Amino acid sequence: MDMAKFKSMFLSEAGEHLKNMSAQLVTIEGASDDRDRINSLFRGAHSIKGMAASMGYEKMAELAHHLEDSLDHFRQGKPISPTDVDRLLDGVDLLEGLLEDISQDLPEREIADFTTRPVDQKQSVEDQPPAAAANPVTHYLQLILHDNVVSPAARLLLFSKSLERLGTIDRLVPSLEQIMNGQEHRSLQLSLQSDLTAAEIEQAFQDYPEISQLSISSEPPAEERRKDDRRSGDRRQGDRRAQSLTAGTVRVDTNLLDQFINLTGELVTNRHILQTALAEQRWNELNDGLGQLGKLVKNLHGQVVKVRMMPVSSITERLYRVVRDLSRKAGKEVALKVEGAEIELDRAILEEVADPLMHMVRNAVDHGIEQQGTVQVRIRRQRSHVHILIKDDGRGIDPRKLRERALEKGLISPKQAETMSDMNALQLICLPGFSTTTEVTETSGRGVGMDVVKAAVEKLDGILQIDSALGEGSRITMKLPLSVAIIRILLIRCNDRLMALPLSRIQQTHQIEREEIQSRGRQLLIQLKEEKIPLISLRKSLHMPVPPATNRVSLVVMELFGRKVGVVVDQIVGHQEVFVKKMPAPFDRLPGTNGGAVLGDGQVVFILDVQGFLGGRR
Amino acid sequence: MANRVLIADDAQFMRDLLRDIFEQAGWDVVGEAENGKQAVEQYKLLKPDLVTMDIVMPLRSGIEALSDIIAADPGARVVMCSALGQESMVMEAVKAGARDFIVKPFQQEQVERIVQRVMA
Repeated sequence: MDMAKFKSMFLSEAGEHLKNMSAQLVTIEGASDDRDRINSLFRGAHSIKGMAASMGYEKMAELAHHLEDSLDHFRQGKPISPTDVDRLLDGVDLLEGLLEDISQDLPEREIADFTTRPVDQKQSVEDQPPAAAANPVTHYLQLILHDNVVSPAARLLLFSKSLERLGTIDRLVPSLEQIMNGQEHRSLQLSLQSDLTAAEIEQAFQDYPEISQLSISSEPPAEERRKDDRRSGDRRQGDRRAQSLTAGTVRVDTNLLDQFINLTGELVTNRHILQTALAEQRWNELNDGLGQLGKLVKNLHGQVVKVRMMPVSSITERLYRVVRDLSRKAGKEVALKVEGAEIELDRAILEEVADPLMHMVRNAVDHGIEQQGTVQVRIRRQRSHVHILIKDDGRGIDPRKLRERALEKGLISPKQAETMSDMNALQLICLPGFSTTTEVTETSGRGVGMDVVKAAVEKLDGILQIDSALGEGSRITMKLPLSVAIIRILLIRCNDRLMALPLSRIQQTHQIEREEIQSRGRQLLIQLKEEKIPLISLRKSLHMPVPPATNRVSLVVMELFGRKVGVVVDQIVGHQEVFVKKMPAPFDRLPGTNGGAVLGDGQVVFILDVQGFLGGRR
Repeated sequence: MANRVLIADDAQFMRDLLRDIFEQAGWDVVGEAENGKQAVEQYKLLKPDLVTMDIVMPLRSGIEALSDIIAADPGARVVMCSALGQESMVMEAVKAGARDFIVKPFQQEQVERIVQRVMA
């Protein structure tokens, strides 16, 4: 019964080993005398072999053993060629594929193609066959139930359902309909196309005392190779993140657990203090107790956040491989440098930025670097934020071309194109629809454009900054909060309703006189220092009644769709920290809110996503 | 973390019996429902790893509750508890997505084996 528990641990540990192996393999080229690295690779393969064997995953154990053998040769001093690295990487890929099968309760895929491939035979990234085209075998099964089995028809239906999970069922006698009609049958005959061996199928039904007889006979493998979309084709780096980041288990330092216990103890004491103080109506003590409670909760939050933290390396490790494959393919020489990968971020944030980060690195290799260069990913902690900088020393982005392009696509007007600063022109690449299939190369064309990158960063309450100079390369920075759950909000009132805006999105707040508002056509504007910024009314945007104008107007200046906008609200109430609660499905799909929060007095406020609810009408 | 089970049965005796079996096997019994309606509500609230569902219960039958649960969570693991002579209902339940069924009277070994299979 505990296998499920071990399995998740197995998945997460094996996944970690594989990630390390893949990272080390990429950096081993040109350093083949690095004994430590080879030893560590060897240990990785060895550990996986041991774990897989004890869990009964035979193919995975066999493959790990195979890799361990090859690594042993290198340990003995055999030099490692780039072809060897390719082959080892393929092996690690295949192990990851097996791990995925296991995590999805699928039969392990075939590995014979790999293990029987001659070691010297070069198989490059491009023409690698589908990781494991399986060779299904047809088995003929007969299964007879014991006489005393209750509800035999339902039992047979369950069996045929389990068999369906092992392969494709054919020629079922009695037919599924006959079984479902509840006719009294106690035996089942069928042929099953499956990747499993007869012994493996038998194993699967070992624990069924309801079966009195099970016979499996097989014929020579069918000639036809099964085409299975899920297993063939391009499912390389892109899919891997999900496994490591969303794995349900987290390893927690036992020191942290001790601190949780200590904090819990203090909270219990605190509760007694408060109770006593209340019962005896000693207000000073009650007040002190509440102060202490505040501190404890803050401390607890800090500790919980720590548990959710993971090093950024969990999403940067795979970049080495991406850059290596990509530059080999494009015939470029690109080095990747990652700095500060040990800095930690909330796993939920890492999950969201993993794909955007990969996309930007791909872009840098693909479009930025010309022949030879360096892509840098630099991670820095800046107070409550983490900055992730993606920098290349390539050709840079030409703002003039961006303007022309946006004009061509009708994304901006000729006048806008003329007056737009270079800095603002760079932001154009984030407009939806800006990048098109014509410029998307095979490698970058994964359906993630810069608009998606920007949206992902902003959804996390972060900021995306783009900077580039022709001939000097580009710098793109993602400024991200450390954690998602607790944020600072600005409370505003509109139509007698309290609402919240995330403070990080707000640039300024202002009280202005009505006379200061100017109009240009239907657009209202306000002059703030040197800038004219457009105004929008929150009431109008939310389809609330608009009352007669007052003299003083409260204004919240935010960046929306890449430009400054003044949002007119009834009243600015103040700011505070809140714990953001995601809306339950299906409400989480409503555009316009990023969840809600409960205020100290029990009031519920929605956290507005102004860009979200304006988005549809733009 | 121990596996979590929700037990749905209108008879207190049966619930206690199952609770004993599960607790001995190291499970967390996170909820008990006395009828089909409660079973569905508690399932949605507690999201247990497994539900044992009596077939005959008031308000909503076990099969109706099963269908509701499967509709809300197609991956739900529900094991039906049936008695002799309920063949057709067991068949309905399996068609509706029950992962297995246990026949009363319960024997600890039988329950443990079936649960193990369903969780594998």
